[in-house]
Amino acid sequence: MTIAGRDNLPSAVAALAQPRQDAAAPAAPAGDRGRRWRRRLAYVILIGYALLMFVPFAWTVVTSFKTLPDSTQLTFIPQPFTADAWGFVFTNLRPAVPIMFANSLLIAGIVTITNLTFGSLAGYAFARLRFPGREVLFLVVLATLMIPDQLRLPPMYVLFSGLGFTKGILAYLPVILIAAISASSIFLLRQYFLTIPKDLEEAARIDGAGFFTTFTRVMLPLATPALSAVAILQFQGTWNSFFWPVVFLSADPNHWTLPLGLTEFTLGPYAKNWPPLMATVVIATIPILILYMFFQRYFVEGVAASGVKG
Amino acid sequence: MRRALAFAMAIALITVACSAGNSPGTTGAGGSPGGSVAAFDPAAISGNATLGEWDSSPAEHSAVSSALAAFSVTYPNVKVDQTTISGDYRAQMITRFGAHNPPDIFYVNAEYAQDWIDQGFLAPLDDYIAKQGFATSPFFKNYLDIFTGSDGHIYGLPKDGNTIAMAYNSDLVSTPPTTMDQLVQTAQSLVGKPGIKAPMCLNAALDRGLAFLYAQGGSLLTADNKAEAIDTPASKAALQWYMDLFKNGLGVTNKALGDGWCGEALGKGDVAMTFEGGWLLGFMQTTYPKVNWKFAEMPTGSSGSKVTISYTAAYGIGVDSANKDQAWTALQYLTGTQGMAVWTGGGIAVPSRSDVPVPDGFDIIVKGAAYSKPGSGFMKGYNDVQTAFANAFDQEITNKTYNVDNVIAATVAAINKALAG
Amino acid sequence: MTATAAPAPASAPTPGHIGARREAFAGYLFIGGPMILFLILNIGMVLYALYMSVWKWSVLKGPLAFIGTQNYVKILSDDKFWHAVQNTLYYTVIWVPLTMAVGLFLAVVVNQKIRGQTFFRGAFYFPAIASSAAITVLWIFLVSPFGLFNEIRGALGVNPIFEALGYGPNQDWMGDYHTAMNSVIILNAWTTSGTFMLFYLASLQSISHEVYEAAAIDGAGAWQTFWKVTFPLLRPAHFFVATVGVIGGLQLFDQAFIGGGPNGEPNGALSTIVLYLYNALFTQINFSYAAAMGIVLFVIIFSATLIQRQLFGRTPAA
Repeated sequence: MTIAGRDNLPSAVAALAQPRQDAAAPAAPAGDRGRRWRRRLAYVILIGYALLMFVPFAWTVVTSFKTLPDSTQLTFIPQPFTADAWGFVFTNLRPAVPIMFANSLLIAGIVTITNLTFGSLAGYAFARLRFPGREVLFLVVLATLMIPDQLRLPPMYVLFSGLGFTKGILAYLPVILIAAISASSIFLLRQYFLTIPKDLEEAARIDGAGFFTTFTRVMLPLATPALSAVAILQFQGTWNSFFWPVVFLSADPNHWTLPLGLTEFTLGPYAKNWPPLMATVVIATIPILILYMFFQRYFVEGVAASGVKG
Repeated sequence: MRRALAFAMAIALITVACSAGNSPGTTGAGGSPGGSVAAFDPAAISGNATLGEWDSSPAEHSAVSSALAAFSVTYPNVKVDQTTISGDYRAQMITRFGAHNPPDIFYVNAEYAQDWIDQGFLAPLDDYIAKQGFATSPFFKNYLDIFTGSDGHIYGLPKDGNTIAMAYNSDLVSTPPTTMDQLVQTAQSLVGKPGIKAPMCLNAALDRGLAFLYAQGGSLLTADNKAEAIDTPASKAALQWYMDLFKNGLGVTNKALGDGWCGEALGKGDVAMTFEGGWLLGFMQTTYPKVNWKFAEMPTGSSGSKVTISYTAAYGIGVDSANKDQAWTALQYLTGTQGMAVWTGGGIAVPSRSDVPVPDGFDIIVKGAAYSKPGSGFMKGYNDVQTAFANAFDQEITNKTYNVDNVIAATVAAINKALAG
Repeated sequence: MTATAAPAPASAPTPGHIGARREAFAGYLFIGGPMILFLILNIGMVLYALYMSVWKWSVLKGPLAFIGTQNYVKILSDDKFWHAVQNTLYYTVIWVPLTMAVGLFLAVVVNQKIRGQTFFRGAFYFPAIASSAAITVLWIFLVSPFGLFNEIRGALGVNPIFEALGYGPNQDWMGDYHTAMNSVIILNAWTTSGTFMLFYLASLQSISHEVYEAAAIDGAGAWQTFWKVTFPLLRPAHFFVATVGVIGGLQLFDQAFIGGGPNGEPNGALSTIVLYLYNALFTQINFSYAAAMGIVLFVIIFSATLIQRQLFGRTPAA
């Protein structure tokens, strides 16, 4: 749950104030000539920086097409070029990549849905419903981010193995339960709900809608950007998570998720089998990339679009 | 790799076929009249057990599978379930100990064996050994001793072991040195040789330095392991000798060469000699197959006798295990001559018994077992001592001061703290 | 939006007694699920850690003898712990503002109506996508003495600058005591900047265009507009990003473990509080000492969060 670890990124969008805007750029004053040069320079720097972001990934892809001896060399062209590592990954792994992929998908999918559901319900409650102890309870929610996983490890394992959740299909349960709702999802959605004008709710209330109906018919549809944010971050965080899966899922290879599969590529105590390791990293990264490119559109446009309402 | 596996399977089948007629542990179930201790016959045991392993590579997993396959032929009534513990093995296992559900039989590394024995995680094996009449003498004594608790009980049997040997590039070094003085001469002749970056890749820590310390007549602890012995003239001289290798440019660290470890340095051709264990063989075969290199025994130093350091691991049985009989049946097989032959046949590991055939290429390593001293697991809190030594030694090299007094001071402090706590 | 039926009935929710109770009930119901999970899996764990920290603890047998504050006293005199605290604070104090600044910069940039806006949004977020373990391993490889980074800077001819700063051409960035932690800071700033960028980007969208126009009319330049108008309006975003950043930063573990092993090599440069806690758990096998450290860490983080709340002000609980 740490940003540094980035395996369960907390989100903290504060799409505050008036939720109606066009995604406009702040106007810059005149001074055309200087502006053009500045823009050009800015573009160059930006493109340079953006390409820099891709260098490690390019390296990963290139290495996956090398042979093992060649992979330790600092060249960007494989010599020889071979897809052996890819073949190896798809035929020789225990368990097979599709199985690990499915496990990762299952867990990440469920966790994302529970975060969206519980997160929005609780976020709404903390933002708009009045109940005794609300502020204290919210602090308690925040406090759950402050205890490191490493310390929770022994008692968590004792708890779940006592319940028998370490064998067979039940082994998925601890991983899912631990990640099912993150304080960051609640935090994010609460902040977002705080910015929605109260009159919308009041109107619904006057029309006789109960709390739940108000929530589902009025608040949720307005919260698409925040929900998208939670979806991206929770899915990606869970997809890449290693800590709890290795504790509860490593016993049975058929339960392994993709990050666990990455551990298959050590060659003795000091060496790694780089080419197939890189191939697996690519496989693990692509779905997130697709997900992100799909959702990021909603994320920003949604904020702008919501201004149309009311 | 596949050839190695086929080889292992072949050995398995041959050894099993040859012993098909005998059942190990031949005393009768009822015990003989006259009041002697009831005997243990593993052939009579049936049931299940889980085995916990940590895979250094997929090949290791296959080797364990082969060993267990051979086991099930000899002991068809005991079913062993193979479990891989991924990630940080030690952390996972301790977590499971705390929940009272570790695998029945599992790896125990020398490094933390004493800690686990002290915590009471391991079940003593003496009864089984006695009742079955299982001979422990073929095990290399310094391997076995590591898994003996301070109460004198045996808590694990070594399943394999590695010693540190000299690995040299046979194209660059025609005659490997046999004494430390010759080593220095050979290294000096290689200084400035085109193609290599340095004569030797050396470890600036006790991981390998301990072997040199012993070789040159020094020691870390007194013979009974109860007090430090590094602050003595002999140890200081030995340590300074090792430090001087760095000082005179005869040896450099892998970091300075930009290599992940010294094995990589040898493979890449950055150095002509280094000191590693049996794991180097598989690495060189897969990653740098074109390099011509050989193992040679650790050169003899001023101490006058051959010495090196060893790393070993054992199988242990959980104290909470409900399947101790079954776990022991597996354990005594896997660390017995048959089982160990299958396990080590493929070159994944090196035998820890003197009566198991030595796999190809590992002769030097096994030779070293006879005269090696433990490289880990001989004192509690050794990890802290290693860290203190390594930090101080590394500082001296980085700052180019090459003075061992600071190293000795830091190490003494750490040793005393570890022995006290 | 005007619904059917129900002309002002008696059940209209005026702030009356019954209404308040219904609302409270709904509130508790909505937060019920999460709170139960939190209670067992988080709060319960904190209480358990507190309990563990005051007993001499055996892994197999649990509590052995009551030792009260002994562990906490031991922590006070434990050099290694305070070294870890120092490292962790250094990391947090530098990494959080750095990543916020980079993230904000990227967000402002991407917020301009420029060509390839989508491409840049994707590119800048990219480092955050891959798993932290894979990226860290790759990073270590890239910044090793003869790794890509050193090769490229040599080829670009910028080495003299580095020499002036005291770094040789084959500097081992992750393996050198002096540069290891800074390397981790840069690694994490680079990977997390994309996420922070997203947060700021969303916030930027919500700033009214009229505000910018007003500033332009008043004759404010681009830089001035940013500092005097945009930056203050982003205060709530700063608060969240900083809070969450600090909470995460103080718990740094993954990169320290992968880069420095269980002892935070080189020379303890990468030793962090959580790494030392992990060491206490599984190398020293002293669960109660580790638990005490966890409690101390919890207090540190909680205090930091409260302080930030004071500094940045509370978010308007509208």
